[in-house]
Amino acid sequence: MLRKWKNSILLLLAVVAMAQDSMVSPAVRRVGEKLACLCGACKNTVGTCDMMGCHYTAPKREQIASLLAKGQSDEAIIDTIVNEVGLKALSEPPSTGFNAMALIMPFVMIGLGLTAIYWFIQRSRKLVPVNVTAPVVADRYQAMAEKEIEKLD
Amino acid sequence: MENLGALSILLGLCLAIYSVIASITGAWKQNPFLIKSAQRAAVAVWGLVTLASGLLVYFLLTDDFRLVYVAQYSNKAMPAVYKFAAWWGGQAGSLLLWNFILACYAFVVITQNRNRHHKIMPYVTAVLMTTQVLFLVLIVFAANPFEVLTVGKGVTSIPDGKGLNPLLQYWTMVIHPPTLYLGYVGFVVPFAFAIGSLITKQPGDTWIHTTRRWAIVTWLFQTAGITLGAGWSYAVLGWGGYWVWDPVENASFLPWLTSTAFLHSVMMQEKKGMMKIWNIVLVSATFFLSIFGTFLTRSGIVASVHAFAQSPVGPYFVTFLAAGIVAVTWLILDRLEFLKSETQLESVISRESSFLFNNLILLASCFAILWGTMFPVISEAVTGEKISVDAPFFNRVNIPIGLFLMFLTGIGPLIAWRRSTFESLRRAFYWPTIGGVVLMVALVAAGMHHVYAVLCFGLCMFVTISISTEFYKGGRAISGKDKIGLIPAMIELTHRNTRRYGGYLIHIGVVLCFIGFAGAAFNKDLTAEIGEGQKMTIGRYELTLNNITFGENDNYVWRRATIAATVDGKPYAILEPEGRVFKAQNEPYHSVGIVRKLNEDLYMNFANVSEDGKKAVIQAYVFPLVSWIWIGFWVMFAGTIVCLVPSKVRLEYARTQVVGVVEKHASQVEK
Repeated sequence: MLRKWKNSILLLLAVVAMAQDSMVSPAVRRVGEKLACLCGACKNTVGTCDMMGCHYTAPKREQIASLLAKGQSDEAIIDTIVNEVGLKALSEPPSTGFNAMALIMPFVMIGLGLTAIYWFIQRSRKLVPVNVTAPVVADRYQAMAEKEIEKLD
Repeated sequence: MENLGALSILLGLCLAIYSVIASITGAWKQNPFLIKSAQRAAVAVWGLVTLASGLLVYFLLTDDFRLVYVAQYSNKAMPAVYKFAAWWGGQAGSLLLWNFILACYAFVVITQNRNRHHKIMPYVTAVLMTTQVLFLVLIVFAANPFEVLTVGKGVTSIPDGKGLNPLLQYWTMVIHPPTLYLGYVGFVVPFAFAIGSLITKQPGDTWIHTTRRWAIVTWLFQTAGITLGAGWSYAVLGWGGYWVWDPVENASFLPWLTSTAFLHSVMMQEKKGMMKIWNIVLVSATFFLSIFGTFLTRSGIVASVHAFAQSPVGPYFVTFLAAGIVAVTWLILDRLEFLKSETQLESVISRESSFLFNNLILLASCFAILWGTMFPVISEAVTGEKISVDAPFFNRVNIPIGLFLMFLTGIGPLIAWRRSTFESLRRAFYWPTIGGVVLMVALVAAGMHHVYAVLCFGLCMFVTISISTEFYKGGRAISGKDKIGLIPAMIELTHRNTRRYGGYLIHIGVVLCFIGFAGAAFNKDLTAEIGEGQKMTIGRYELTLNNITFGENDNYVWRRATIAATVDGKPYAILEPEGRVFKAQNEPYHSVGIVRKLNEDLYMNFANVSEDGKKAVIQAYVFPLVSWIWIGFWVMFAGTIVCLVPSKVRLEYARTQVVGVVEKHASQVEK
C-alpha cells in the first residue's frame, strides 16, 4: 500500500504542465523556427523543440498561434516577441550591426582561404621544376618501372 | 585510503613537473641519465595516476559516501556498471579520467620509443608531461575527487548518494566519454612529436611516420566518440535529435575537423614533401582545440545542457592555451626555413590541389562552428546584449560547406597526383556525373523538392560511383592478370595499398552518413493523447495503445505504454516506451521505443499520462534513413581498420625530387 502511494506521488511529480497543444500547425512552426527555445536544456527553436511541456516553447507557441489568429504577419509576431524577450529570442543573430558579423565572417574566411590557395598556385606557376634527381635514384626507379612492366607482360 | 588517493595525485604532480624540467635540461645538457630519469618519472606518474583512478573506482563501487564525489554522483541502487561510469559523471572524476588516459599514452609512447628517436624523445616527454601537469594541477587545486565530507574537523558520511544523472544511465554513456577522451587526449602524441621534431630540426618526416598510426587510431576514437554521443542523444533525449549544434557537441567536433584535415594534408608531406608548415599548424590546432573543448565543457563560459557544473578551472585552461599557442607560433616562425617545401604544385588540376581545397573546406567549417559557438560571448562583450546562435545558423553555414566537401570527396580519387589533363578528367567524371544527375532528376520527378536533400543524394551517388570505379578498375586489372574473381581481386587490391583503399572505404562511410543526414529533411512527428484501444496515425503507421502498466525496481519507478504498430492493417511491431522517475534524484527520464529499419525508424516516446492517469501522451516520429548514419560509422570504422593494416606491397613514394627553382636559376642548373 505504502509502495503504491509512493509510486503515485513519484508519477505525479513526473506529470509536468501539459499546456502544449498536440499538433503544432505549420504556420506556428514556420514562425517558431525563427525563434530560439530559451529553456536552457536544448538548442532547438520554438518551432522544433519537442520537449513535452517545455516551459519556454509551450507558452510561446500559444502566443504565436493567438497572434496569427489576430491576423498579424510573421515579422510583426517576431518583433513582438523580440521586444518582450530581447534579441536572444531570435534563433539566429540579426543581420544588422555587429551581429551581421556572425554570418559574414565564415564566408570572409573562405574568401581568404581561396585567396591563399590562389597565391600558392600562382607562386608555384612562377617556378620551373627542374629535375635534379641523382642518377642513382633515377636508375633505381627506372629499374622498378621496368620490373613492373615486365610483370605486366 | 582517500588520503592515499590525494597523495598519489599530489606526488604525481611533483613527478610530472620534475619530468618536464629533467627532460628539457637533459636534452639541453645532453645528459642521458637525466633524460632517462625524466622518462622514469613519467612512468611513475602513470603508476600514481592509475592508483588514484583505481581508488576512486573502488570508492564508487563500495558506496563510500564519505567522499563528496561519490555522494554526488553515485548511490546504492545504481547498477555496478553505472557506478563505474560515475568515474566520469562529474567534473573531478572526468578530469581524473583525462589524466589516466594521458598517463597511459605517455607510458606507451615512452616504452615504445625507449631505444628510438633519442633526439626527439626528451621533448616528446616534456610536452606530454607539461599537458599532464595542467590536468594534475586541475584535480589537485580546482576539482579534487578525493575531497571528503566533513563536519567541523571530523570526516562524516551520508547514508546514500544523489546518484548519477538519469540521462547518463544509458549504455552508450558507459563508453562514449572514455572513447571521446581517447580521441581528444590521443592527439597530444602527434603534437608532442611534431614539437620535438621542430625543436631539434629533425630532417625528413620522422614525426609523421612515427605518429601516423597514433593519428589514425585517435581519429577513429574521436569519430567513435562523436557517433556514440549522437546515438545517445538520439535514444535518450526523447525527440530523436542526434545533433543540435550544442556548444559541447561543437567542442568535440572542432578537433575532429582539423584532425581530418591533417590526415589528408599529411599525405602531401609524405608523398611530395609539401605542406610542412601547414601540417604542424594542423596538428597543433587539433591539440589546442582538444584542450579548448575541454575548457568549454567545464568552465561554464557558454551555456550547454551537456556541460559540467561551473567550476574555477577556466583560468588554468586560458593560461595554458595562451602560453602554448604563443610558444608554438614562435617555434614555427623560428623554424620556417627548416619547414620549406621540397617540391611545388605542378598543376592546378591535380590531387595536390584537391587536398588544398579539402583542407580549406574542413577548416572553413571548423571556423564557422567555432565562430558560431563563441559568437554569443563575443557579441555580448561588444554590444552588451545577449543573442542566441542555434541550429538554423549552423545549418545555414555548414550544409553548403558539407555538400561541397562531399563533391571534393568524389573528385579526389579521379584526379591524378602531379597533373591531370582535361581529357582524362572528362573520362573519369563521365559516369559519376551521369549517375548523380540522373538520380537528382529522378528524385525531382518523383516529387522531392527539398533542394539540399536532392543535391545531397545526387552528390552521394557521384561519390559512390567514383569510388566504386576505382575499386572496379583496379580489381579488374588484378583479376585479369592473376586469373582470380573480381571480388577476391578487389580484396587483393585493397591489401596491396591499404591506406588508399581503406581511405576510400571511409569515404563510403561518410557518404552513408550524409544519406542519413539528408533523410532528416523528411522527418514526421505527431503528438497525441490516446487511451487504451485508441489509435493514432503517422505516415504509413497506425498505432494502437494496448495498455499502460506501472512498476518499480530499486533504482526507479516506471510506467510503460504497450503500443501495437500496424502497416496496411498488418502487424508491424510492438513498442514499449517507458517513462521513468529515478528515486534518488526524483527526476523523470524517457526510455523510447524504436523500430529501426533501413528506410526509416519508427520512434516513440511515452511523454506523459493524462491528468486522470488513463490516457497516454505519445510523441511519435518517423525518421527516414537515420540508420544509415550508424551504418556509415561502422563502414568508417572498418575503413580505418583497413588503413591500419600494413600494405602487402611496400610502396615507395617516388618523391619526384623535383624542386621548384626560379626560372633564371633553372637554366643555370641545366647547364
